[in-house]
Amino acid sequence: MVTDMKILRLSLFNLKKNKREALAIVFLTAVTTLMLSVVAVNSIKTGNAFYDSFKASGSFDRIILFEEGTYHDDFYDILKDEYGIGEIMEDRYLVSASTDVIEPDGNTLSYNLLFVTEKTERRIEDFVKAEQLPEDEIANLEHPIWMPENFSIVKKYRPGDVFTVVQNGKKYPFTVAGFYNSGLASSDQLFFKCIIPDSDFALFSMLFHTSFSNTWTGLAFDGGEDFPYRAYMDRCMEVSGENLRSDYNDFNIRSEHNIEVQFLNIFLYLIAFLGMVTMASALFMIRHKISNDIEDQMQQIGVLEALGYRSGEISAAYLFEYVISGGAGALLGGILSLLMTPLMDYGIKMLLGREVSGKAQPLLVILVMIPVMLLVILFALQKAKTVKKYPPVVALRRGIRTHHFGKNLFPLTSAKGNINIRLAWKGLFHDIRSAAGIGICVILSGTALLFSVVTFMFFKDGTKGLESMQSADVDTVLVSLLPGVDPYVAREEIEAMPEVRKALVTYNYEYQMIKGSDTTGMAIVYDDFKDAENIRPYVGRCPEHDNEIMLGLRRAKNENLNVGDSIILTNDGMEKDYIITGLVGSMMNGGSILYLTSDGYRRIDPTSRSYVISAYLADGVSDEAFEEAMNARFGGTAKDLSTRSGAGGSLEDQIHATAEEKIAALMSQYGVTNVDYAIRIGDRMISGNSRNFIIREIRSWRGNIKAQMEPMANLTKRFTLLAMVLIALIVAVILMIIASSNVRRQRRSLGIMKSMGYSSKDLMQQTAMKFMPVIVVSMILASVCCVYINKFFWSALFGTIARTDLLTILVTDLLMTLFCYFVTYIGAGKIKKISVTELMTE
Amino acid sequence: MASSILRTEKLCKSFSNIGVQQHVIKNLDLEIQTGDFTVIMGSSGSGKSTLLYALSGMDKPTMGKVFFADTQIQDFSNDELAVFRRGNCGFVFQSVYLLENQTVLDNVLTGALIVQKNTPALVKKAQELLLQVGLHEEDFQKYPNQLSGGEAQRVGIVRAIINDPKILFADEPTGQLNSSSSRDVLDIFTKIHQSGQSIIMVTHDLKTALRGTRVLYLRDGGIEGEYKMCAYGEDDLKTRRAGLQKFLDEMGW
Repeated sequence: MVTDMKILRLSLFNLKKNKREALAIVFLTAVTTLMLSVVAVNSIKTGNAFYDSFKASGSFDRIILFEEGTYHDDFYDILKDEYGIGEIMEDRYLVSASTDVIEPDGNTLSYNLLFVTEKTERRIEDFVKAEQLPEDEIANLEHPIWMPENFSIVKKYRPGDVFTVVQNGKKYPFTVAGFYNSGLASSDQLFFKCIIPDSDFALFSMLFHTSFSNTWTGLAFDGGEDFPYRAYMDRCMEVSGENLRSDYNDFNIRSEHNIEVQFLNIFLYLIAFLGMVTMASALFMIRHKISNDIEDQMQQIGVLEALGYRSGEISAAYLFEYVISGGAGALLGGILSLLMTPLMDYGIKMLLGREVSGKAQPLLVILVMIPVMLLVILFALQKAKTVKKYPPVVALRRGIRTHHFGKNLFPLTSAKGNINIRLAWKGLFHDIRSAAGIGICVILSGTALLFSVVTFMFFKDGTKGLESMQSADVDTVLVSLLPGVDPYVAREEIEAMPEVRKALVTYNYEYQMIKGSDTTGMAIVYDDFKDAENIRPYVGRCPEHDNEIMLGLRRAKNENLNVGDSIILTNDGMEKDYIITGLVGSMMNGGSILYLTSDGYRRIDPTSRSYVISAYLADGVSDEAFEEAMNARFGGTAKDLSTRSGAGGSLEDQIHATAEEKIAALMSQYGVTNVDYAIRIGDRMISGNSRNFIIREIRSWRGNIKAQMEPMANLTKRFTLLAMVLIALIVAVILMIIASSNVRRQRRSLGIMKSMGYSSKDLMQQTAMKFMPVIVVSMILASVCCVYINKFFWSALFGTIARTDLLTILVTDLLMTLFCYFVTYIGAGKIKKISVTELMTE
Repeated sequence: MASSILRTEKLCKSFSNIGVQQHVIKNLDLEIQTGDFTVIMGSSGSGKSTLLYALSGMDKPTMGKVFFADTQIQDFSNDELAVFRRGNCGFVFQSVYLLENQTVLDNVLTGALIVQKNTPALVKKAQELLLQVGLHEEDFQKYPNQLSGGEAQRVGIVRAIINDPKILFADEPTGQLNSSSSRDVLDIFTKIHQSGQSIIMVTHDLKTALRGTRVLYLRDGGIEGEYKMCAYGEDDLKTRRAGLQKFLDEMGW
């Protein structure tokens, strides 16, 4: 008992003597426990939050949409008869992709919207309302709209806000009646299901007749997450004889879950990585500190041993120290993680766009604390056991310190230049274990830091970085042409506009079926890919001939395809071979993209006439300014004119306006290519034709990407900034402690050096310079790791290739190295307190 | 006529211990001439070492002035004192204080390279000096723990004189050596002094003190008495010893 007390006293003495180091270990263990607890608790909570919210919505787990005109009643029957689905709801839906929307703050964004009526909503889920206007106010609204909770949670919409849908230049303002829990179609990345009155639904049904906005028939049912969707679609095509290659949309619980938790998981991976970095740093600190303590207290160990203490008992004293400091850290981290529950719940809520019921998970936190503690004890025990290497005689002679017969590295006989640097590097080789430990810590923390910086820089300008990852020229405005319009003449006319610097002919991004594949591929088509600006193959080259194709990297990986292989595209019973010339990383359509030349595209779709001009705007020209210029030049789009009403002016003007409206409707809705009209009023002939009508619609992709990704980009920016600060703090703590413990350990040598005339600054410089070679080499290795991690991160998560900006890496390396030097220099400040006289009188 | 190399005016040094002021050096006036071999003696606690540190710029006086040649050093910052020391002072300690992780040659060069940059010339000089103090070439690459006490102290002396200091300070340099090693070390000091080196040495050993040309006896922080001798070897050792012994007896040593 007395022995135990003495051992405990030695532990407490060490803790008290080296308060800063003990606090550093408490800090590192606390941060580790905090981060790992956050990851453990929230990775479970995230999944639960989604499924709880989904369950509460009462939604069916799948809705398959078929474009109106391709839907057959057989599709319903197949589900019922062949798949044994009991309850199936057949309803009409309006899909409006990349819809321009004027938000309550006046900004224009682009959303993918799915409109339903309240009746449909009540059939496919329970219409669970959240925040809303009073019922009497809603009753008085002319155009109420109910929106998924995501809008109130993430986008901070409030009931009563005005949400204006813009269709071909015409504005349709809705008043937000309230928000509801939408099981499916509740994400930026997919669609937002909005509930509108029957009258507005009917109006939109008449307006939506483009490839991006149209009416669909949907079948909602509970098929389970493993419903054989592909087989069902094949069966539908077989039975109906319809080519459904791009004429369907599938909303299901698994996709919804995967998409909604995608970014949350990314953040959790990053936090886990930071937790690992901190843990490694804490373990290194422990090893370093015990080594130092043993060396420092070698003679005391000798005395204790001489007095009859067993080495195991002395080891236990060191171990207790870490049980105390590690335990305090783990406990603190655990408590902090419990206290942070509301904050983390808020984070989940913001990323998920769903309400989260926040409950602390103390048991899970304890389950994290235990392994953290065990690791600390294991490392401490392993190092503390080295006491037994020192029997009393060895210990009293200060152990290994008196037995240095190693090779003389960096001899001063060949010294050149600054003696402080020479002595620093000489010292490095006498402390190689510390150097190795610092190296590991800097590699880990440097990798985390570099990755944070690279990611921060990527999102620095909002979604601009993401646009570059699409491997498509999304920074353009797409002008769809009416049938019969010569795309090359239109291209020349558009390119001649001062607002445009370049225009290319392309096609609507149609989906193509690939033989033997479960998923379709979205085709990006150009006459010559050399003209495109953001399509850079990762391997191989872009297609140049009509039998060549380039694939998205993720698709190629998933289907084990490579350059030189061939694939078969199918369309309407026709099959065509294509040789893969290149692979390209792209975030678009989940990386499931096909790149074809115009000739190649016409091989598989000879009748396609969905021409699109991709307009590259001149510097400083906004999408809106371009649209205005287009309207001024081409008299507005057919879609716009077809819905125009109330033209004023003379009778002749009114006749012209009415005629144009009719013509536009014929062209945009029924594919009429040429119209002439003549009206005789008395002896006057009023005539006109459709030659002015060339534009079907104008769309901007940038706004859509912005709406989808901007919240995530902003959150990532903040997160990576926080990570940078945290990593810098961890690095600073470790280096300062190591520098200060080095000073403590080398107090005697430093005193001798001072007596020789070395100033405190010289010696601080030596201490700081000592680890510089390790830090520089570690940062180089960290840079390599960062490049690979960055590549892996984007490739694994988005199927795209990240090009790490080497300048960013280089500048960060430089700043990190300087930071390390500065911190170590400051940490060595204790040198100033070393008194030569004190040394000589000891 | 020899010039003054070190001078103090009303030098005071106090230490504070749990609020109690302890005055170790009190208003001490002292002048050291170039080429002197000054020995400071006195009973334990008389302030010998404290005076040595104050004179050498190792420590700052509490009050008073220290002139090194014409430079007042008492107000120098710690770093300024370090720079001052490297060019002007050499130190030999009782405990030698060699750097344990460095070889004999590197120990000497560590002191030299902070002052001079000509590495090849310094290496040559260090090797010559090491040979002169009785070490052998094979010792140059040894580590301090491979040397005997006497050998280590000889390395300490070479390290102290490699920069040709204006004054060599020695704090009981033979305190931890056996009589044979002590004699060897003292012979080196004598030889160095004969070459014109100013030396200030603290000792409580009569044999060591005999090597000096001037003995200052300290008591209660002040100089109690002073005894001058001719250079060692110029007189009869017996007479020299008797004279010093008489002086010390008078001082109550």
